[in-house]
Amino acid sequence: MRYRLCLPLAAGLACLPAYAVQYLSVEQVQKLAYPDATAYRAQDVALSLAQMQQVEKLAGLPARSVNWRVFGAYNGDKLLGYLVLDDVIGKFELISYAVALNPDASIRQVEILAYRESHGSEIRLPAWRRQFAGKSASTGGLTLGGGIANISGATLSASHLTDGVRRIAAIAQLVLKP
Amino acid sequence: MKKNLIASAVAATLLAAPFAASAGEAELLARIDKMAAEQEQLKAELKASLQKTAVIEQKQQELASAAAPAIAAATTPAPSAAIAASGPTTIIGGYGEINYNRPSKNASAAQTDVRRAVIGIEHRFDDKTKLVSEFEWEHAIASATDSGESAIEQLYVERQFGNGLRGKAGLFLIPAGLLNTNHEPTAYYGVERNFVETAIIPSTWREAGVGLSGDTDSGLAWDAGITTGFDLGKWDAASSDGRESPLGAIHQEGQLAKSRDLSVHGALNWRGVPGLLLGGSLFSGKVGHKTEGYTANDARVTMYDLHARYTPGLWDLAGVYARGQISNTAALNLTLVGNPTPVPKAFAGWYLQAAYQAYKADDYVLSPFVRYEQYNTAKSYEALPQGLGVAPQADEKVTTVGANLKVGEGVVLKADYQKFKEDKTRDRLNLGVGFSY
Amino acid sequence: MTAVLLALTACSGGSGSTSTSPVTPAPGQETSLSEAAKLGELIFKDGSLSASGTQSCASCHDPAAAHAPNNNLAAQFGGANGDVQGFRAAPSLRYLNQTPAFFFAADGTPTGGFDRDGRAASLAIQGERPFLAPHEMANASKQDVVDKLKKTAYVERFRTQFGAGILDDAEQAFNRMTLALQAYQKESPEFHPFDSKYDLFLAGKVKLSDQELRGLALFNDPAKGNCIACHPSARGTDGASPLFTDFTYDNLGVPRNFKLKANANPAYFDLGLCGPDRTDLLDRNDLCGAFKVPTLRNVATRQAFFHNGAFDNLTSVVSFYVRRDTNPEEWYPIGADGNVQKFNDLPQQYRKNVNVSEVPYNRHPGMAPALSPGEIDDVVKFLGTLTDGYKLNP
Repeated sequence: MRYRLCLPLAAGLACLPAYAVQYLSVEQVQKLAYPDATAYRAQDVALSLAQMQQVEKLAGLPARSVNWRVFGAYNGDKLLGYLVLDDVIGKFELISYAVALNPDASIRQVEILAYRESHGSEIRLPAWRRQFAGKSASTGGLTLGGGIANISGATLSASHLTDGVRRIAAIAQLVLKP
Repeated sequence: MKKNLIASAVAATLLAAPFAASAGEAELLARIDKMAAEQEQLKAELKASLQKTAVIEQKQQELASAAAPAIAAATTPAPSAAIAASGPTTIIGGYGEINYNRPSKNASAAQTDVRRAVIGIEHRFDDKTKLVSEFEWEHAIASATDSGESAIEQLYVERQFGNGLRGKAGLFLIPAGLLNTNHEPTAYYGVERNFVETAIIPSTWREAGVGLSGDTDSGLAWDAGITTGFDLGKWDAASSDGRESPLGAIHQEGQLAKSRDLSVHGALNWRGVPGLLLGGSLFSGKVGHKTEGYTANDARVTMYDLHARYTPGLWDLAGVYARGQISNTAALNLTLVGNPTPVPKAFAGWYLQAAYQAYKADDYVLSPFVRYEQYNTAKSYEALPQGLGVAPQADEKVTTVGANLKVGEGVVLKADYQKFKEDKTRDRLNLGVGFSY
Repeated sequence: MTAVLLALTACSGGSGSTSTSPVTPAPGQETSLSEAAKLGELIFKDGSLSASGTQSCASCHDPAAAHAPNNNLAAQFGGANGDVQGFRAAPSLRYLNQTPAFFFAADGTPTGGFDRDGRAASLAIQGERPFLAPHEMANASKQDVVDKLKKTAYVERFRTQFGAGILDDAEQAFNRMTLALQAYQKESPEFHPFDSKYDLFLAGKVKLSDQELRGLALFNDPAKGNCIACHPSARGTDGASPLFTDFTYDNLGVPRNFKLKANANPAYFDLGLCGPDRTDLLDRNDLCGAFKVPTLRNVATRQAFFHNGAFDNLTSVVSFYVRRDTNPEEWYPIGADGNVQKFNDLPQQYRKNVNVSEVPYNRHPGMAPALSPGEIDDVVKFLGTLTDGYKLNP
């Protein structure tokens, strides 16, 4: 688990995350998502025009980029899943996040690597991110208000991040499953 | 790229799968050889691809760093061109609203107003430090002979410390209620901001001072700070300002603010369950500032609130309770006898609101809502000799029914109707357009 | 308290009882005043600077009577023989140091200025006229005044302060004399002590009696006395003590006072802002009959009220405010035709300028007055708390 600094606060013992804006590095996310992996291979994806159109149809929003940073996680030669790295803008600033996928293109977990806004850092909360786990582009439930609960006071961050995850789920579904 | 993935996946699956019976061993070996050769080819292709990508990425970096600090478009995410915290950036944002009010019993009082136009400038110095500023114009024209106001709404610097703490110093918003820190027209239902959070909690409530905030992984976010407070010497018992909003009549907003008496505040907000927010705040400070010859140097303002917001599915449910108190005002009120607006002892209000995302097409989202609020800006007074005091007010009860129509992410059209229980002349139809970017 | 004050030196108008010996300042009182202010005090109290040789500023602005007259004459007497009557009641000189020069506010309201018609832009300018007016100190000219100054005991101090050759130029010397008077009035705390019972009450140091509190409530209530519409009683938002005047003007239609000899001429009307003493607003007919709102501090020590001294006791003044319109026959004479001659101190065409729209004088015959007789007494009792020099009982 991530290192935490536990400090006694006035209201009792509370644990504060040990990192500032940059919460996790790529290596740390890899280990978090795939603890059994022995190797990670950069397997970046470039979408064709046809694929981009398909993604847009499946996700309900534009595919946005041609190139996507992907890592395959392997235990020996066994594929454990894919880790896709991406950035979205919250209100003004970048949110760096990663979506860890299972080989069947369902979502394993979502991690936030860096969050810079003053408000809305609640998207880092494990409880909120857990809402994505197990879902895929075909099961749906990846829209704000339609499976992912909004965060009061951080609607833009929550909705942009949810859109990003849904887009990645669509890309995974179309690229992994022929 | 797709081929690589497929090939790798197939290869991996095949390799992981147990071998078939030995009957086709030779065949299998031949196939393995072939696949090995293919793999080598694919590896070479992959290497070439990676090199190509690296070149492209490098070019992108060069482009990005060669450009002037970008003004990022906040509505369309474009991370491939973003700088990802490599240098200082200045971001301009803002919001505004233009409102129309039509009292239903007095059409000649119908009014249209550019209620506010706000420009916000955020400048990020580095990964950890940023400046937040907000400049506001109210009622379209501010001059000596016009009714408008131009004001600094926020002006503070924020620093992230190494252990998850954030500190800020300057003029910033007090974390009370649901609306004060989240007051863009796209963030609330109804043309006008609700009464509980304008008349009781004096939104937009800002003070100058220092603050510290942080959050925990269990979803608890906390705020604390020491700031300027209110100045009871500004109370004008002959005008009705104090009845509209007691704290609004004595706020200093960082304008040559008396600071002999500073105020403290704290807030807790819990979002442990997705879609649920529970929180509260407390603010307290004396308001006499040890003024020479003033009877209310011991007076203290205390304001607290409890709030909740729950957004299951397409519903948006919210509730706020707020209460303010001003202590030690009896001697001051005695010097103000006969005036219509003495200083109240307590003022409070609460509301419940429900909104539902009823209709969505393209980027139009229609959310009808209903809100019931009850508030009283003069719930009680400290006792005065008989016959000299003023009777406490009755609670005003307001029902608001209307809808927000969101166009895209940043524009909202609003319409609502408000019915007042006590002062029925205030019943009105409201229309408004607002934006936030 | 006030009786003790009044028992002291009477106004010298007419009887010439005060001597012409040099005035010595009270010991230790103004050791913190500037030299100009000290000279101003000497000039203020120096009767030798008048035609009669006995009249000084202090004659009509008695320091012991809140710097106002200590008699009930409608207008004081002056001139070489003390037998020329003035035209208006002499006001108190207290609490004038914050009065602004005359100006029209953004909404057109005339504001500020010194004298009852605001024609003097500063205290210094106001100090010029009494030296030269035939009905006051009656000097022939500024040179005349300066010649008298040369014979005073403090003339060397004057030269030291303003220059050795100052007395050679009568215009300049006279100007310095009025500046010294202004410095005295601005600097000396006796002109603005803020030590009345009401000031102590505002600071929480003393309680008002029940009747005084009732009076204050009626004074403040916009539906009863509404006095604060022109006489603010509350501390300013910057903590400033109330002056009980907003420096504006009002036209009350006060009855004509035939004790003023000038009023024997039916064609003579004292119209305040639009003349005859003030000459720069002659064409502003809408302002005819308006006079400056004075401070109410020390009002309980006065014996002649309003610009023409038409009233001599405070209770009748407060009654006039609330009963002027409900019972005009109590205040104005009945004409030959049997009708009450309301607002008879104004020519017919200016009677419409009188303020009939503000509480409490916005009523009509047959309506009850805004204050009952008991309430009038309460207000008068409250006004008594505005007298300077209140001493807390040890």
